[in-house]
Parts: sequence; C-alpha cells; structure tokens
Amino acid sequence: MLGAAIKKDLLLLVRDRGAIMSLFLLPIVFIAVFGSIFGGDGEREPLRLAVWRAPGDARGAAIADALDGTGMFAVRRAPTADRARDDVAAGAVVAALIVPADLDPRAGRPAELVIDPAASPQVKGPVEGAAQAIVARAALGPPPGGDVAAVVARAPPGVRDPLPDVSGFQVAVPGNAVLFGFFIALSCALSFTEERRSGTWRRLLAAPVARWRLLVAKLVPYLIVGLVQFALLFGIGIAAFGLQVAGSPLALVALVVATVTCATSLGLAMASLGGSEKQLGGIGSICLLVMGLVGGAMVPRAVMPETMQLVGLAVPHGWALDGFFDVLVRPGTGLADVWPSVVALLGFALAFVGFGALRSRRLLAG
Amino acid sequence: MTALLELRGLGKDYGARAAVAALDLDVAEGEIFGLLGPNGAGKTTTISMIAGVVAPSRGHARVAGHDVVTAAFAARAATGVVPQDLAIYDELTPRENLDFFGALYGLSGATLRERQAWALGVAGLADRADEPTKTFSGGMKRRLNLAAGLLHRPRLLVLDEPTVGVDPQSRKHIFDTIRALRADGMTVLYTSHYMEEVQALCDRVAIMDGGRIVAHGTIPELLAGRAGAAALVVEIELAGVVGDDAIGAALAAAAAHGEAARDGRTLRITPVASVGAVIAAVEGAGVAIAALRTHAADLEAVFLAHTGHSLRDG
Repeated sequence: MLGAAIKKDLLLLVRDRGAIMSLFLLPIVFIAVFGSIFGGDGEREPLRLAVWRAPGDARGAAIADALDGTGMFAVRRAPTADRARDDVAAGAVVAALIVPADLDPRAGRPAELVIDPAASPQVKGPVEGAAQAIVARAALGPPPGGDVAAVVARAPPGVRDPLPDVSGFQVAVPGNAVLFGFFIALSCALSFTEERRSGTWRRLLAAPVARWRLLVAKLVPYLIVGLVQFALLFGIGIAAFGLQVAGSPLALVALVVATVTCATSLGLAMASLGGSEKQLGGIGSICLLVMGLVGGAMVPRAVMPETMQLVGLAVPHGWALDGFFDVLVRPGTGLADVWPSVVALLGFALAFVGFGALRSRRLLAG
Repeated sequence: MTALLELRGLGKDYGARAAVAALDLDVAEGEIFGLLGPNGAGKTTTISMIAGVVAPSRGHARVAGHDVVTAAFAARAATGVVPQDLAIYDELTPRENLDFFGALYGLSGATLRERQAWALGVAGLADRADEPTKTFSGGMKRRLNLAAGLLHRPRLLVLDEPTVGVDPQSRKHIFDTIRALRADGMTVLYTSHYMEEVQALCDRVAIMDGGRIVAHGTIPELLAGRAGAAALVVEIELAGVVGDDAIGAALAAAAAHGEAARDGRTLRITPVASVGAVIAAVEGAGVAIAALRTHAADLEAVFLAHTGHSLRDG
C-alpha cells in the first residue's frame, strides 16, 4: 500500500506545475540573484575611488599608489579637485580623496575624503579605514617600532576557521534551500486539505488500512521530494555556482535529513489546523516566509541585532542554517560539530508530530 | 432472509445534536436497498458509520457478519464505498486511480490488472483508461468514481447520491450497472433524495427524516401503507392574488383531508380519499382554485404522509 501511495502522491506532485515552480525553479532563481548580490565569486568588486593630488606632489602620488595596491579600490586619478568632488556627486565613484600639496594633519591641513554620509557601512568602513591609515602613514611616517602586527584575528575556542574566500553562494544556496525546503510543509498540508475537499480522504478512511499507515503514506512522499529538492539545490549550487562543502559530507547529509524531516512534520501540524486550501495557502505562505526571514534564510542572522539573532533560534530555520553554514564554510566540520542543529531540528519535528497527533481527530475526520 | 447488513440501535451525535437517532435495519444479501430522505436527514452519516469512516455514538453495524468497530478491517474489506463527492484524483488517469485504490484493498499484480480491466469495462471507460481524468465529463468522472468503489468486488456496495449532476446517458449507465451488479449477487445500499430514482431501482426502501427511519418496506408496501393503496395526491393551484393568510386558511382546511403542504401558490394534499371534499374545503376557506391535478400516490406522497413535509423541503 505504501508504495502505491508514494507513487500516487509523487505523480500528483510532478503534475502540479505550481508546486514544481515553488519547490524547484524559484529557489534556483533566488540562489542566482541572492548569491550574486552578496558577492557571487567570493571576490568583492573593487570600490571605485577618485584621487586628486597637486601636480608633482610625490606624497600624493604615493598615497594614490598605496590605495591602488590594497586591491580593494579601483583608483582613478582626477584632473582637478572639483572634478573629483563632482564624480562622487554623479555616482561615478563612491568616494574621492583630495590630497593638498601642503598636507600636514598636525598643522590642521588634512586630506579631504568626499563621500556620501548616507553610503552603506560596507562602503564607508573600508574607504574611511584605508584612507585614514594610508594618509596618516604618508603624512606622519611609519609608526614607532615599524610595521608589526599589533592585532591578530583568531577564531574563538571550538570554532573552526572559515574558508579563505567565502562567496555569496555559500550563504545563498543553504539560505534558499532552507527557505524553500520548508515550503514542502505547505505542499504536504495542502495535499491533506485537497484530499478532504475532494472526498478522496473519506475513501481512504473507508479502506481496510490502519489510520497511522494512511498518515505515514501521506508524509513519506513529501519526505522523498524534500530530499530530492535539497540534493538538487546543493547539486546545482556546486555545479553551477561553485558552492564548496568545506566540512564532512556526512554532516551535510545529516542536516539535510533532519531539516526535511522537520519540514514534513510541520506539514502534518499545519494540516491538523484544518481550514480551506485558500486559508492554508495564504496564512501558511506568510508564516513560512516570516519563519525564513527570522531564521536568517534571506538575511544572515550574523548581521542581525543580538535580540533578533536569539529570536531566530525559535524557528527551525535558524538551527538548520547555523549547521549548514558551519558545514559549508568551516573546513573540518563533522557530525560532532553539527549535532546541536540536528538535535534541535529533530526536536522541532517531534513537537510538530505531537501537535498533529493531539489534533488527530480533525486530521482523520472524514 | 440472510442479512448482509445489520444495523441495531445505530446512532451518531455531534455535540448535543443527534444526527442519527437509533437505527434498526436489515438489508438482505443481493437486494438493492434505498435510503430515501431530504438533505440533512442523516443518510450520509449513516453510511459513513457503515463504511467505518465515522465512529458510531451508540449501537452497532455489521457487514457480512463483521462489526464495523470491533472487526473494522474485515467489515471495510467487505464494503465498497462510492461517495457523493467525486472522490478520484483528477490529475491521474483512470488506470492510475484504480492502481492506487486497488492497492488500498491489497490488490496487486495480475489480480489488480484483471479487476482493473473489469471495473473499467463496467464503467465504460476501457478505451479512455490512460487519458487524464481532468479531461472527462462529469458523467465519466461519476462512472470512474463508481469503478473505484467496485474494484475489490465488495459484498456490499454503498452508493451515496451517485447520480448528482450527471447527464441522462450516464445516469442510465449507472442504473444498468447497479442492476447488473445485483444480478451478480452484490448487495447495494443506495441513498438518494431523488424519489424517482429510488422508486425505479430499489427492491426495498427506508425513508429517513431527522435522523430516524420513519417508514420502510417494499415500494408497494409503502404505497399501500399510510398513504393507502388507492390514495391520490391532489395538487391545487390557487387563483388570483392571494395573501399568506388566505393561503394559510386554505392549507388548514385542506389538512382536514390529508397531510397538506404548500409550495408557493400550490397546495399538495395526500392521501386523499375524496377530491370533492378537498375542493369544497379549500373553496370554503374563501380561496378560488385556478387548476387541479391528481395522480396516484408515490414515494413523495408517502414521505409527506409520514413527515408532514415534502422531500424537496430538505
């Protein structure tokens, strides 16, 4: 019976163009867009910067060369100071550095950094930091004791170092896989609702089959589709977008299985709420999007305020993404490192199944 | 008479409301038994209990000797259900639908193929077996709905309003199929609120109203019962502009000669022994008669006689 039920639901899913779009095609589009937005190839495009210095000013030329040498900036030499300012205003460059011939910060004659005060921190931070350091060195000379590293960045205990180049796709692939992966819950819940609406559920209940077997037979196809969905999205991520799996593939598989189990169980809980297909489709979609947003599927939790980072752990998406980030980005991450995520996801799954069981009268009503 | 279906004090409550009170009924093996009643009479709840979909609140039901609660699987295996809804998968072909429904009853391999071919033949869909069901007419879908309930060759076939929304050709096909199945020994429980269908098809009928069986027997027995063998149904169409008060007075006057019901400006009285007395009573109430029709009592008249309201009122 189970095999026939799985075949039936898989056939129904495959022939449902809307479901195929939302489960497979849409996430691929989102991955391509989000991955590109967040730095697709892992190498950030240099920020365009204009520099003006007085003709023949050797210090000004050295400053321009030093900025060029960082690799962070595409430095353009401006013919006049005003032209440099106009270029910023016109958006041709993100900032302009104007180096006066009589540069002397101690005497109140600093260089001028022209930048839109409303520019994003991702632009302002590097530009201001680099300009400050390079101009200070040119004007004031090297620091006492020479160029030594005063501060060295190290990972905290128990946290592995990340890959040297983390591309946007290392975040976009798992983010969208989790976001759209949880939409299997909606497909699953809608399938229950459709069976009830059409009367086929009454026909199933009238068959000589245990109720729990009917429920399992409804859930297993969505478990399978969820696993295929993750395999496909990660596969395309690796093949088309250069996604790297820095950690253990076994840990990745464990996370995928736990996530899909959790999503399918959520489908059971949603189905037990009843309601029409329209209600479930509308409210369910909104809930899943909010859960994805809070859990960091669209914007990484790491850049959220501290409170929101904690709120993100109230939804399974947050735990899943924590685990996926470690496996994809931190070399050497194994099963032992991702067990908190796996356990949390299975805990959520248990809670969802329990909720569905408590409301099983509604679920099993003809 | 060997009863294939036995109901003893079978009832179902939803909260404080008794959807079905306490039914006692036997359906003999090989007969077509009709459950007639208006919408909301409790027919669907009754067959849902028989099919094992809804748990009874009291009493019990046995199919082929198997209690639907304590021997649920055996009872369900002996029962085929054709729900009122088109309980089939539109996106699948008839063959794929029957593959799935057959598997639910443990059919597989050559047995499933053989039953599938038979059920598709019975439904007249053998040449359309691999086309998407969503392209079918309502009548064809009804026939597939029937085939899905027949596939495992149940001893009891329960049909819940199987002709709702079908064209005359498909209705005839369904009727012919039911008669052929009975000829093969299958027992059929047929629910409908169409009096004509039940009268044309069923050997015996139970009339349900308000969750109770108000009368049951063969159709001749029912017609000869409260309605009276020679009783007539009189339909009187009132003339002129008549107010509700005047119609109410005419109805009350007519009610002295039988169960009287009103449908707009038409009064329906049954059973009527003397047409002249009814005419005199109505005209005596100060209302003119525009037209008068009489016909022999039918199940509709029997229903009216037992419940005081028309089948169509449901």
